[in-house]
Amino acid sequence: MEAVAGRRWQKVLYERQPFPDNYVDQRFLEELQKNVHARQYRYQAVVFQSGVVAQQLCSVCVFVVTWWYMDAGMLSPQGLFGAALVSSLLGYVLFDAVDGGAGRWESGRTRWADLKSTLVFTAFTYGFSPVLKTLTESISTDTIYAMSALMLLGHLIFFDYGANAAIVSSTLSLNMAIFASVCLASRLPRSLHAFVMVTFAMQIFALWPMLQKKLKALTPRCYVGVTVLFALAALAGLATISTVGAVLFTSLLLAICGLCPYCLIRLQLLKDNIHGPWDEAEIKEDLSRFLM
Amino acid sequence: MCLLAVSSVIVQVAGLSVLELGCSPESSGQLPFSLYLITILKLYVCVSWQVSHSSCITAMVLKVFFPSCCSSAESGILVGRWLSEQSSAVILAVVHFPFIPFQVKQYLSEVQQVTKISVSVLGSWSNSKQEKEENLSKFLEDLGTIFSHEPWIQISKEGDSKFWSCSTFQKHSNNPKEEEVILIYYDQRKVMLSHLHPPLDTATSTDCETDDASKLSAIFHTVAKSKILFMTDRYDDGPIKLTHWQSDGAEASIIVELMKQASVPACMLLTFLLSLVSGICRSRVLKFWPLSFLWSKLSTCEQLGHRLQHLQVISSNKKAQTQTQLMRKANIFVSLLIDVSLGILLMSWLYRKNRIGHLADTLIPVADHVAEELQDLLQWLMGAPAGLKMNRALDQVLGRFFLYHIHLWISYIHLMSPFIEMILWYVGLSACLGLTVALCILSDIIALLTFHIYCFYVYGARLYCLKIYGLSSLWRLFRGRKWNVLRQRVDSCSYDLDQLFIGTLLFTILLFLLPTTALYYLVFTLLRLLVVIVQGLIHLLVDLIDSLPLYSILLRLCRSYRLAAGVKFRVLEQQDGKPLRLLMQINPLSYGSVVQTYRLPTYSCYPKDSWTSLCKKLFLGELIYPWKHKGEKQD
Repeated sequence: MEAVAGRRWQKVLYERQPFPDNYVDQRFLEELQKNVHARQYRYQAVVFQSGVVAQQLCSVCVFVVTWWYMDAGMLSPQGLFGAALVSSLLGYVLFDAVDGGAGRWESGRTRWADLKSTLVFTAFTYGFSPVLKTLTESISTDTIYAMSALMLLGHLIFFDYGANAAIVSSTLSLNMAIFASVCLASRLPRSLHAFVMVTFAMQIFALWPMLQKKLKALTPRCYVGVTVLFALAALAGLATISTVGAVLFTSLLLAICGLCPYCLIRLQLLKDNIHGPWDEAEIKEDLSRFLM
Repeated sequence: MCLLAVSSVIVQVAGLSVLELGCSPESSGQLPFSLYLITILKLYVCVSWQVSHSSCITAMVLKVFFPSCCSSAESGILVGRWLSEQSSAVILAVVHFPFIPFQVKQYLSEVQQVTKISVSVLGSWSNSKQEKEENLSKFLEDLGTIFSHEPWIQISKEGDSKFWSCSTFQKHSNNPKEEEVILIYYDQRKVMLSHLHPPLDTATSTDCETDDASKLSAIFHTVAKSKILFMTDRYDDGPIKLTHWQSDGAEASIIVELMKQASVPACMLLTFLLSLVSGICRSRVLKFWPLSFLWSKLSTCEQLGHRLQHLQVISSNKKAQTQTQLMRKANIFVSLLIDVSLGILLMSWLYRKNRIGHLADTLIPVADHVAEELQDLLQWLMGAPAGLKMNRALDQVLGRFFLYHIHLWISYIHLMSPFIEMILWYVGLSACLGLTVALCILSDIIALLTFHIYCFYVYGARLYCLKIYGLSSLWRLFRGRKWNVLRQRVDSCSYDLDQLFIGTLLFTILLFLLPTTALYYLVFTLLRLLVVIVQGLIHLLVDLIDSLPLYSILLRLCRSYRLAAGVKFRVLEQQDGKPLRLLMQINPLSYGSVVQTYRLPTYSCYPKDSWTSLCKKLFLGELIYPWKHKGEKQD
């Protein structure tokens, strides 16, 4: 390459140069950049964000534990319904109180619409509860358990944790949760049980995440407190059924909230992303003004 | 290779469509192969010559179509038609000596007036037994000056020799030279009676084929048109003596004439009655909704209407214009005749030994038995059929619903039972209208007696269809999508919370109830298919009787030359210096094409959808109907 001395190589295509096509000179690597888009995370923030996953895990856990109690007859449907009603009302008040009604004003949703939705839920669930009761009589219990477990797993997978990915579908996630709750409710001894169970599922899988999202956005401190309390309640409930399950669940929660953020931050240090002139062209400017 | 060349050559020479070079034992056995090859070469040369000088008449190969019945005729002159564009002469008859030339000309002009084809004297024919008369041949040449025709053909047969000599004589060239002449024998009677297929008006072949076919049909046409020429009897004492094909006599002609005379008033009466009947059928009273609906569903009415049309076609006093129409009439007539005779046979069997009573006595228990079997089937379905896990509550509801239907049905049958024998007796009378009508009535009776199965099928199918469509749309909701009607595709959509909840609830319920409904649907669809198949077989039989062209098939069986698909040529004899002698034989139409050409149209419409679409319909739970009335029933 040095044979053609006297002429400097230029990075242009419009001039004929005495160099082969794939020739580059020493300046090539000068433009190398590393980890341009890599973000530096703080441990605290990552743990805070992982709270959503922990919350959803706890929701599923609470639901399963409640179903267990209902199935065993240790929890009366009336009691559960009352508790759920009270907590729903509390949550409803809190939902508006947190942002002072700003969210409601923005969405334009009236209280009458809320009441209508509630009525529709209750009426349909109550009407269909005898059907639900006999729906899966002839299907084996193991099949139902397997189906419910799969559906709850699907609910956890497709849930909208705030990440921007193609797999996320809050509709599918919610539908899977409802399907699982209907399956499980059909195993309960009476139709009132089934009604209460499905209502409870709606509250814990549809309403509770909405409140959580609002709490997380507006009062982070309060959100952390609520999350910890909820997790402790779920753990306590699980512990009364099976100690091993409680231990496993605790370790799972700890892994998600402590170990995984730590791993993420450690692995972030090993990130070695190179950028340079070989990259594909990236249009950064807003070109829409040229379209006029 | 060589044979191919020969066949192509002879096709060109004869200008005809179908040709088979006969290598039959008696012809090729006598013929040495070398001679054969020489002939081929000669033919080839003369054809190429013909092609290169196609405008020059003297160079053309002359084809003489000679009736085989005239080969032993006494000497005389040849009467026939000259087809100049094909340079072929179709000999129709031989006029014997002695004759007066003026009378011959007059006679020919009369014939020409009647037949509308140009018949003329084409040449001379001499059949000398032993003696060879010099003055006769001179006389024959002189005849050419009296009957002026270009070219003047002279055919002479010497003794029992197989080789005839044939010469043509051009007057203006003044030198009688030997030309290439091919003698083609044809059976005058068969060619006269045969009908060449495909008919020219419906021929949709390529131009070349049509051209060939028209050349052949010109010859057939000439012979068929000159029928009037053959009418003269051998014993007629006319001024001219002719030799041609003659019918062996018409002894039965008196009966035929009488029948012809009688058929005219009979047809008129029939037409009047038919117009009366069709007028009643078309009257307003029968057009109201429930009645017209009923008529369209009963296959008996359809069949009767079809037969009425047939009768109208037969009894119309308009003469059939073409051969096809004539054949159609004859086919309808024979099919009707056979149908009615079979029906009367059936009726005579039915009304002997109180068979109707026996039939009625067995019909009621059979219907009862079917109902009982259905009840057993429903009981089985209400349990755990084949170990399947069904939804018990829905199972019970459906089972009781269907059981109640069967109960209704049984009571209906028992109400009917005293009248069944009477009904059957009167219905059996309709067999005199034909076997097809009786079969259609049987099909209708089957349909009426299995009405409960039809009802079950409809209920099951509607329920199943509802579930399938509901599940498919709720499955889209489950995935957060919906069907966009405007864009005809599935789009994603954000639903409200209550929509999602109710949708998923319904989806779950429908999904768990689907197997029960599907099983009921499957069982009743199978039953329905059984009935439909039986009815379909009956209708297939009816269609077969309706549409089979029996007259054409009989004609093909007994007089195969009447339906010609083409001709083939067999080489008879061949000698150097003598004209080639070919025998024209008629190729009969194959049975398949006979049926295809003359098949009578039927009124039933076969299902247009294929097997896959049928399976798709069955899977989706859309109603399927028997083969008939398919288009109409989907309302």
